[in-house]
Amino acid sequence: MMYVVLALSWNIISGFTGYTSFGHVAFYGVGAYTCAILVADYRWPWLATLLAAAVVAAVMAVAVGYPVLRLKGPYFAIAMLGTAEGTRVIATVADPLTHGGLGISLPSAETSLPTYYAMLALMVVTVAVAYAVGHSRIGIRLSAIREDEGAAEALGIDSTRYKLAAFTLSAVFPAVAGGIQAYKILYIDPPSVFFVQITIAMALMSMLGGKGTVIGPIVGAVLLYTVQELSWVNFPTAHLIAYGLFIIVVARFMPRGLVGFAIDRGWVRKGMVH
Amino acid sequence: MGDVALDVRDLRKAFGGVHAVDGCSFAVPRGRISGLIGPNGSGKTTTFNLLTGVVRPDAGQVLYGSTDLAGLKPHQIFRLGITRTFQLTRVFREMTVLENMLSVVGLGVPDRAARARAEELLALVNLTTLRGEYGGRLSYGQQKLLEFARALMTDPELILLDEPAAGVNRTLLQHLLDHIHRLQERGKTILIVEHDMSVIMNHCERVFVMDAGVTIAEGLPAEIRRDARVIDAYFGRRRQA
Repeated sequence: MMYVVLALSWNIISGFTGYTSFGHVAFYGVGAYTCAILVADYRWPWLATLLAAAVVAAVMAVAVGYPVLRLKGPYFAIAMLGTAEGTRVIATVADPLTHGGLGISLPSAETSLPTYYAMLALMVVTVAVAYAVGHSRIGIRLSAIREDEGAAEALGIDSTRYKLAAFTLSAVFPAVAGGIQAYKILYIDPPSVFFVQITIAMALMSMLGGKGTVIGPIVGAVLLYTVQELSWVNFPTAHLIAYGLFIIVVARFMPRGLVGFAIDRGWVRKGMVH
Repeated sequence: MGDVALDVRDLRKAFGGVHAVDGCSFAVPRGRISGLIGPNGSGKTTTFNLLTGVVRPDAGQVLYGSTDLAGLKPHQIFRLGITRTFQLTRVFREMTVLENMLSVVGLGVPDRAARARAEELLALVNLTTLRGEYGGRLSYGQQKLLEFARALMTDPELILLDEPAAGVNRTLLQHLLDHIHRLQERGKTILIVEHDMSVIMNHCERVFVMDAGVTIAEGLPAEIRRDARVIDAYFGRRRQA
């Protein structure tokens, strides 16, 4: 469920708008930290911290996005990677606030059921928002920026505003997911919540399913997670090899993802609006 | 000359030491088809980019009514009712024809009306059956028509066409020109940058000639054809006999 949220969020900025982010874990980590600090040190109520995580991530997205979204292609990707790594380092050294490398232990709950429902609710909201964006003129305009930013501007699209909005939207959901996850695992430290692998998973799931579509990242997240678990259970020693092989096979035969593959075969109609 | 749609005054732009546009002035008459010509490297395309906000001018004014377009961003200029097409088509390749049409901002109409308008324009350029196809899968000529139709989504007042004849066969070109004349009959202003002299000479009512970043002549097509400065610019100065 968490990965559906992450993949869908990443897809809003990277799939639609085409600005491939290699640092989206930054928002996930910041969300996790916001919640952990507010609960452990300030005794905030649980749900309020999730809201705070969303707000903090949104503010950060605007602050980071405003300069960074001027960069294109690989430069944007690298700037985002730097953002994530930089945030991790800050979390490590800002001792009084984040407890540094020691990490934060959260007060334990009696049951993890609330986190399950919270994640479920978040997923429903993310899917709804992704669908609303994807199948509207906003989604079309974001795609237009991906296809040809100059031409998009010549057609009246204020690309700076649209990109920033997409970026902010794509930051909020991972932050809340990070917060919920923090309650689930009850202990966070910089390496675990600013883990590069999480960004890679977001990107991989989106691309595997078919980026720039709404259903693609959902399919990708469910499939990749399942394959990951299955390979881990069935080939305990070689599970990463099996997992890698699966990704290679899909990338080789379906370069546009599963949904892209279906579109090219004529099984699914092209475009989001008919 | 009557009513002026776009008044360009002493426009200048230098890229490093190259003065691409170096004091360009002309007035585009409202409700007419005008042409902007000049040899390669004379600054036509830069002028076009200055008019549409892609490039910011170093000096000069572009008056559209009482608004100075100089320094505005492309999307702001577009929303004032000025639209353009590109020399090489720039359709959105991995979006459907219909999505290409609907991407345009500033229609000021609800989604349903936008759909109806898109369908109407697609019918006009005979692309209705291809509405669900990706833009990138169309032929070059079809992309050109799509770009043209897309530019008309907002019913703009001023239409700037960058080399509409480039890479287009005669039949299609005639088609495009018919559309352009129909727009003019509805009171729209059109400015064409073009290499194809027959397009300029047969379809424009007023022609501006640029050379080395400066407007060197303007007038009726017949006058331009005989203008010594224009002949010099295109063919080099005649040696004194």
